[in-house]
Amino acid sequence: MWIYTLKRVGLSIVIVFSALFVLFALLRFLPGDPITIALGPRATPEAIARYSEKMHLDDSTLVQFLVYARNALTGDLGTAVFSERSVATMVFEVLPFTLLLSVAGLGWAMLFGIPLGCFAAVRPNTLLDRITGIISIGTIAVPSFVVSIWALLFFSIELGVLPAIGAGEPGDSLDQALHLILPAFAVGLGWVGYLARMVRASMLEVMGENYIRAAQAFGLPRQTIIYRYALRVAILPTITLIGIGFGGLLSGAVFAEIIFGRPGVGRLIFDSITGRNFPVVQGAVLVITAIYIIVTLIADLVVAKLDPRVRESL
Amino acid sequence: MPTIKLTRRQVLASSLAAGAAGAFGVVPSFGKAQDNVLYVRFDSDLAVIDPGYMVGGVDIETQKAVMPSLVEYATLPDGALGWQATVYCNSVTQRDDLHIDFELKPGFMWTNGYGELTADDVKYSFERMKTTDWSGNFDPMERVDVSGPYTGTIVLNTPFAPFPMVTLAAGPATVLSRKAMDAVGGQFTTEFPATCGPYVLQWAPQQRITFLPNPEWTGPAPAFSEIRALIIEEDRAAELAFEAGEVACTEITPATVARYGDTPPDGSSIKVAGALQYMWMGMNTEHPKLSDIRVRQAIQHAVDVDSVIQGAYSGTTEKSNGIVCPGLVGHRTATKYSYDPEKAAALLEEAGVSGLELDIKTLNVQERILAAQIIQANLGAIGINATVTPVDSGPFWEMGSEAAGEQWKDLELWIMRFGTAPDPYECTQWFRRDQVGVWNWERWSDDEFEALYLEGLSETNSDRRNEIYLRMQEIMEDTGAYLWINHEPETFIYRNDVAIDVYPSGEMDLRDFRPA
Repeated sequence: MWIYTLKRVGLSIVIVFSALFVLFALLRFLPGDPITIALGPRATPEAIARYSEKMHLDDSTLVQFLVYARNALTGDLGTAVFSERSVATMVFEVLPFTLLLSVAGLGWAMLFGIPLGCFAAVRPNTLLDRITGIISIGTIAVPSFVVSIWALLFFSIELGVLPAIGAGEPGDSLDQALHLILPAFAVGLGWVGYLARMVRASMLEVMGENYIRAAQAFGLPRQTIIYRYALRVAILPTITLIGIGFGGLLSGAVFAEIIFGRPGVGRLIFDSITGRNFPVVQGAVLVITAIYIIVTLIADLVVAKLDPRVRESL
Repeated sequence: MPTIKLTRRQVLASSLAAGAAGAFGVVPSFGKAQDNVLYVRFDSDLAVIDPGYMVGGVDIETQKAVMPSLVEYATLPDGALGWQATVYCNSVTQRDDLHIDFELKPGFMWTNGYGELTADDVKYSFERMKTTDWSGNFDPMERVDVSGPYTGTIVLNTPFAPFPMVTLAAGPATVLSRKAMDAVGGQFTTEFPATCGPYVLQWAPQQRITFLPNPEWTGPAPAFSEIRALIIEEDRAAELAFEAGEVACTEITPATVARYGDTPPDGSSIKVAGALQYMWMGMNTEHPKLSDIRVRQAIQHAVDVDSVIQGAYSGTTEKSNGIVCPGLVGHRTATKYSYDPEKAAALLEEAGVSGLELDIKTLNVQERILAAQIIQANLGAIGINATVTPVDSGPFWEMGSEAAGEQWKDLELWIMRFGTAPDPYECTQWFRRDQVGVWNWERWSDDEFEALYLEGLSETNSDRRNEIYLRMQEIMEDTGAYLWINHEPETFIYRNDVAIDVYPSGEMDLRDFRPA
């Protein structure tokens, strides 16, 4: 297990640096002059000179990358172009909102999706199985931004029972929870279907295994067989999926953050890309990438702990 | 460890109670006006609020709520846009072409113990601006002479009639505290070292900017106990927030103006703050396909601009006849050309042109792409085969720039929109001879235009200025290089229990928001 863990951590570090380099290069290849985009078409020569100096735009791309990588290694993510605020501060002041949204979104999806998958798997090819299949595919197929707007129109404008915009009053947990409901619903709905389909497929496979048949032959209660023996094994690929999904939501929830006017890392990255605020983009993506890799690493380690065969595969 | 145990029956009962409360309208009020708290929408987060290095927009709206200035926009008795002294001044008077006298009211105190607002603060602030990113606004200013604690004179280095409108009433003329600025090293980004306004500022990045009453304020009491500006970047989301009752005022898009039509949601009204933007289709006079003026004139006659405005903007914007915007001196009310496809075809035939293929470039914005497509259809009707090429903002703003390479030589037609200050000098400057290959992408120049531009800067007689700018636009139109399209307005929707004040450039002046 230790060797597996070390290999997996080493791989994660390589992935972080690769992602950083690719992103850095991509940002430089965006069409248009970054100065014109960042400062507007009528920027003064003084502002252009200051922006170029701050962004090291007169240096080669390689030098720019090395400067950034060196600073990042020492924990210095730089400062924003205009406001000169610390990028680390900017990222970490909105990160909790994104983490909360991701946990809430994926959390409710797990609460509904996993039982839904189990429910379908123990009644294969029945009418109920087909209905859950339709529900699952339906939630996957509907684009999340459509769900967001629909939920906003219905619950906030038509019924007026849930708030539409923002993250709630600071210090007011109830208000913040109410502001979380619609974004979490929108973000998590597609995952209900994913998780249900994944759990159903895994469960069907596991339910045909000899040890399950043996348990049934011994007369163990049905609930015990499903939840204690079958689901415990069938859940393994789902854990990996949840890890990937959580990481994806950290930056992928940007649509919900924009539509619901919530602070978040995805929105910070989106705004910074459109404004060519490279230090913020790079810093935020670095943090997100690191969290993503940590989460998937944890998921992989959990799976490896539960399934020894996985340890041999790396 | 204490635990909460709920039976299934209890959970069901709680859910039913919550549902019943919702059904009978016993629901929380989310962000609506409570305890004289006003909620408005800001369309972006703060960037830099130092007037010397700001980005604009929200930065200016924030400055206006918490910082002093000498002059503000005002609607004159004749309905035209003008300026007046702010609450901070007893008077601001243009003594002659080169001198503007001002007298501050005594007793306005800076926060954080930086003393009283004085004429020396004005001198420091304006002279400092000459060395900042926004120095261009202060180029015509020589210096500020201080004659007393509250009195002084702004001295111009050349007669410049628009100075009060385009500089003093705008964001760059925010007054700072000299002592506070010295204490922070002469520059700041997102935290004022000292403020002097009816409100003070609290900022939650990406969430809201809260304006609370300033306990040291000695001017007229602020109308609200708190103003919360929610940061909602997406226009449609802001409109939904308004409909949900979570903000009392927001800017809306032309599409939404059309959707509401004459019947905005109950209890709300729509206000057009101004239309300081002008859009046109430009033609590159040096492109071989367009070098014959008859071809350009044919294009002017071929396009039905009314259809463009109806189709792309649902009829919600004002047709333009030049670059000077409505409400300003020099605004044109008619063009010399008109929609006449037969005349357009005749001009093409006279020029010996057939099978002409042209490319229309536009920013990748829904309304402008639609406008380009309607123009494309109009051109097709006279035998011009046009293609529409949407371009992202980065490459778009370089298309006609000589500094960006040789691509300007391939530029044929493009849809362009500029914003402007509330004075005609500002919009004419981009079409001068020295702007060819910079912003004059149509690439023409004219001696009379140059002379009139200089005359317009120093002329203070409004009738003469009107003549000057009308003639300048006529010269532009006579080049055949311009098809005037529209002036897009800055339109706001607001609840009827609030009286709003919005600049013609679309910035809210929260100091003057009041309960209606």
